[in-house]
Amino acid sequence: MKISTAEYFVTESLNSIRRNGLMSMASLMTVALSLLILGVFMILVMNLNHMASILESQVQVTVYLQDTLKETEVLEMGTRITRLPGVTRVNFVSKEEALNRFKIRLGEQQGLLSELGEANPLPNSFEVKVDRPDRVKPLALAIAQLKGVEAARYGQEVVDQLFGLTRMVRIFGVVLIIFLGLAALFIIVNTIRLTVFARRREIGIMKYVGATDWFIRWPFIIEGILLGGLGAFIAVVLLTQFYSMLTRQVYESLAFLPLLPKYPLMGYVNSFLIFAGCGIGVLGSMISVKKFLKV
Amino acid sequence: MIQLTEVTKAFDDGFVALSNVTLKIDKGEFAFVVGPSGAGKSTLIKLLFREQLVSSGEIIVNGRDLSALQPQEIPYFRRSLGIVFQDFRLLPEKNCYDNVAFAMRVVEASRRDIQRQVRHVLEMVGLLPKAKIYPAQLSGGEQQRVAIARAIVNNPAVLIADEPTGNLDPDTSWDTMKIFERINLTGTTILMVTHDKPIVDQMMKRVIALENGRVIRDESRGAYGYED
Repeated sequence: MKISTAEYFVTESLNSIRRNGLMSMASLMTVALSLLILGVFMILVMNLNHMASILESQVQVTVYLQDTLKETEVLEMGTRITRLPGVTRVNFVSKEEALNRFKIRLGEQQGLLSELGEANPLPNSFEVKVDRPDRVKPLALAIAQLKGVEAARYGQEVVDQLFGLTRMVRIFGVVLIIFLGLAALFIIVNTIRLTVFARRREIGIMKYVGATDWFIRWPFIIEGILLGGLGAFIAVVLLTQFYSMLTRQVYESLAFLPLLPKYPLMGYVNSFLIFAGCGIGVLGSMISVKKFLKV
Repeated sequence: MIQLTEVTKAFDDGFVALSNVTLKIDKGEFAFVVGPSGAGKSTLIKLLFREQLVSSGEIIVNGRDLSALQPQEIPYFRRSLGIVFQDFRLLPEKNCYDNVAFAMRVVEASRRDIQRQVRHVLEMVGLLPKAKIYPAQLSGGEQQRVAIARAIVNNPAVLIADEPTGNLDPDTSWDTMKIFERINLTGTTILMVTHDKPIVDQMMKRVIALENGRVIRDESRGAYGYED
């Protein structure tokens, strides 16, 4: 393509955006809003996945023992567990230590425990470290079968719930995104159709003097890219601000929540949004101009 | 240059616009196509521009068999044709110069060629002094001259005119015809659909008369032959 031709295309598309100011503004905003919501969902899903995988990688089984066990039996149990395949370390937590830890966790509300008097309701337990995450579940099940074991707990239950939540958010998000994407596409199609319609005579003459379909399409495609791309840019700016604020807040007050760091997450999300915005723009203009090319 | 062999054009609703038309127009000829409304004149132009396809028969324009033309070849084929409409079809937001230059820009001519060639054709139709003026400020005859300049700016081998004097008064029509004659003298083939009896009668050119989709008369130095 010649430079003068490219110049001509860009001038033409800027002119039509200006001529259709209000409609262009409306489509810009629709694209921005749709992509903003899409971005929020992407961030949400990615963070939920991240949390689930952190929990999943915690390779520990907590084994609660029955209170009827004698000290020798407890020791014996310890060695038996140590010999199980995949177990890397076994750490004994006595009733007393468990109560102490519990007190520390309760902090200022320790007073609640005084109701218990001298009784200690917490069992003896083992903290069993496992070498690989996929071994956690079978190991916990095996240990639970042992005589004298009250229960064997591991993080998987929470992980499963979290994955369930992620799946729901993802499905809801996909449905919402499809609707919003169609709305954005629809309004871009209509905006560009206005300019195409305003210039149908020109297009007719262009066809008669031998302009190729692509030559006729380009200014409209550029218009679509400008509308979609600018809309995406607005969404990207807002979203990046929002995530910076969110991470700052979380690090200050909810530090245990493992949020993904701003980069590279926002890099992925933003480039995807820009790409989606431009894509919607191109698709929209192709649809609008199609009908008028049949001469 | 233009050759139709047993061309029939029927539409989906059964209307037959052209029926078994065989016609040959040589390079450099000047031919009028006359006939009442619905005779098939507009369809003929649409077929020549490959806006529509023949139902049967063959059309060859500038050596191209139009039925064999691929869709992506159509624009390049059309560059060998020029067209002038009855209603001029100028773009109101562009001045004379840009209206003409536009036709070269869309075929991606170089800026230097555009400048030279647009001035040349505007001079030819006598409108170079009004190059910066917008169509609305021109008379009908002047507008049609701009349209003619646009039609010939890419040096087409064939110029097709669809009732070019239909909206003009008799004096202006004559001026316009003189321009067409001058263009014809440079070797451009001209095919002109018209209802303008005085012009056809006085020009003494070839006349092809259509009626109900058939060629009923084809005379090398003919007259309009109708009273309408």
